[in-house]
Amino acid sequence: MTRVLATYNIKGGVGKTSAAVNLAYLAAQDGARTLLWDLDPQGASTYLFRIKPRVKGGGGKLVRGKTDAANRIKGTDHERLDLLPADFSYRHMDLALDAAKHSTSRLARVLAPLRPDYDYIVLDCPPSISLVSESVFEAADALLVPLIPATLSSRTFAQLKDVVGEQAQILAFYSMVDARKRLHREVMEELSARYPEILTTAIPAAADVERMGVRRTIVEEVAPRGRAARAYRDLWSEVRARLGDPPAP
Amino acid sequence: MTSGYVLPTPLDLSPLEDALKGIYGLRVQAAARRTWTALETFDGRIAEAGLELVHEDGRLVLSEADGREVASAPHGRLPGRLLLADLPEGPLREALREVIDVRALTPVARVSDRDRLLRVLDDQEKTVVRLHAEEPEVEGVGALSPRLRVESVRGYDKAAARVGAVLQEVLELVPVERSLWDEAVVLGGGAPARGLPGVGIDLRPGVRADRAAARICRRLLDVVELNLPGTLNDVDPEFLHDFRVAVRRTRALQRELRGVFPPEELEHWRAEFKWLQAVTGPSRDLDVYVLEFDDFRAALPQARRADLAPLHDLLVRRRAAALRRMRRALRSARTTQALRGWAEVLRALEDGTACGPDGHVPVGDLASVRISKVYRQMVKAGREIHDGTPADALHDLRKKGKELRYLLEFFASLYPKDVVKPMVSTLKALQDTLGRFQDREVQADLVGSLADDIVGMDDGTTALMAMGLLVERLHTQQEEARSEFAERFGRFAAKDQRAIVEETFR
Repeated sequence: MTRVLATYNIKGGVGKTSAAVNLAYLAAQDGARTLLWDLDPQGASTYLFRIKPRVKGGGGKLVRGKTDAANRIKGTDHERLDLLPADFSYRHMDLALDAAKHSTSRLARVLAPLRPDYDYIVLDCPPSISLVSESVFEAADALLVPLIPATLSSRTFAQLKDVVGEQAQILAFYSMVDARKRLHREVMEELSARYPEILTTAIPAAADVERMGVRRTIVEEVAPRGRAARAYRDLWSEVRARLGDPPAP
Repeated sequence: MTSGYVLPTPLDLSPLEDALKGIYGLRVQAAARRTWTALETFDGRIAEAGLELVHEDGRLVLSEADGREVASAPHGRLPGRLLLADLPEGPLREALREVIDVRALTPVARVSDRDRLLRVLDDQEKTVVRLHAEEPEVEGVGALSPRLRVESVRGYDKAAARVGAVLQEVLELVPVERSLWDEAVVLGGGAPARGLPGVGIDLRPGVRADRAAARICRRLLDVVELNLPGTLNDVDPEFLHDFRVAVRRTRALQRELRGVFPPEELEHWRAEFKWLQAVTGPSRDLDVYVLEFDDFRAALPQARRADLAPLHDLLVRRRAAALRRMRRALRSARTTQALRGWAEVLRALEDGTACGPDGHVPVGDLASVRISKVYRQMVKAGREIHDGTPADALHDLRKKGKELRYLLEFFASLYPKDVVKPMVSTLKALQDTLGRFQDREVQADLVGSLADDIVGMDDGTTALMAMGLLVERLHTQQEEARSEFAERFGRFAAKDQRAIVEETFR
């Protein structure tokens, strides 16, 4: 059975792409056939895998089912990990969805024929509340939500729970954490007390993660022994456990 | 997609690097040694399905022959054989379910492979093609010539084509004939029963009947001998099944074409093959019960299914005991002498030093006589079957049906395909019904006969009640089969069918 996971947050710059890329890589490392769909028109995931951010026919045709998604998939440099690239036209995906029938189930329909080929499909979503995110909620089994432990994150999380409702499981985790900041520690303590469903693994604000952009690769290749790489591995085990998937071999 | 080219020995990669320079970037990784084991079934089902299965680094990996991974699963040390049930639940097991069915996977070749990866890069330094310079060695066989495996990356077909063109046109490399996996399996002696020709050999109607019979019997004897070791080692149930089918076919030929064999000897060999059939019967029956146990269970209401566990245990124990008895018989001198002696009879028939009274008759004449005769016998016997006819009449008809089926298969090459094929398929439909009718009866009898043994066991009473239900279901299924009979037989014995038989097998 294929699992569809989506990294999502209403806000941008919270470590969404980094989570998508590194977790998808770890899934593939565990032996799972994995597809990452970079839905963000900025194409950060696509850039990190050195793939050209271009989908022939554009995002509109893709979501309307006029383009065969399977033919647009690119193999990454890593075994079992494929990418459906970003395209600048994705910035108009909302309009394309709006014009289509059954707009919120379009993404799920695009994914349906790809499911037999993959064990995990990871969607890297643009930060917004829109038809795109609505479609993502409908298509995904679980949302991976990075939370920066700042004063407003409690409110953000509450809003998100409201918006998503019962559509998908929410797996929130702390991201870009600076353990030296007292504020971060306090917010995390308070949030976790109120929302025990928040995962226990925290992704540190580490230079290794920033260097991913310079080296154009995943954190496991930048610094496999670093704190960030370790944190993503822990996060992936925790995500698998929460999904009820068997632990990695 | 993967394809490969033969590389010259000794391996020198510099021409390759020079040829690609200027078009693509190239990053050569340090050589790594891969050690993997190829797995295949005795009859080559993995390759037949266009797949390859390997065990490497504690994983079983199934891929398409073009290199694309289909499914994989962790698996520790490889045992001597793997059945479907030995695989962890999940995509790999499901992907193999239809392919191998009840056949065992066995490790057939161990390959040690020095692999140097050359990554072909585009202007973004993204890998667009992977080239593997491989120096493989098959354990117990020796080194194979080095090869260059081209692994294309999904979505970069143009780059793969361009690299392929450089390899063929600039470097003039010759494509390999088969994949390394295929080659390793062949060299490792795997899949000896792959692509075995059927029992129907190519015959001309004028050939002497004794020569034709000898050739068919020789092929059947090959199947018997090929399947004997796997039967003795209990590798999977198909060995015994194929062994028995070949024995039964031999007996059909001994009976139907009895006039072509030396009469003074034939009775002895018929007795020997009858004995081979008899000593393997109980094992085969119990194989079938164990294989079909899930169907037994499924025939019961959900809540009663677990109650059948004692019956399953008992069947497994009985099967083990039957296997021991069968092994003793098949390892005995009588078996060796039967197979060796029969081979001599066939040799004598072929080189003309022995002959039966009908040996010189053209095979076409003899085959037609037998086919039309058995067909007429079946039509006559079938017409006498009504709702109240005792079961034995249906069983006898099934036996005749098998005989006819074998004759049609042996001599198919003598007759037009458009006659034989539909005839076999209506016959097959009839046989399926008759088979189900008989099997359900035999199964119900067996379950009933085990009641005494079950009663004394723990949970014996609940098991007995479940068995009662099961027997009832089996009888219902048997009656369903009987109710199909008239329609199936009607098609088999229809007027136009009879006319065709009359016309073709004159």
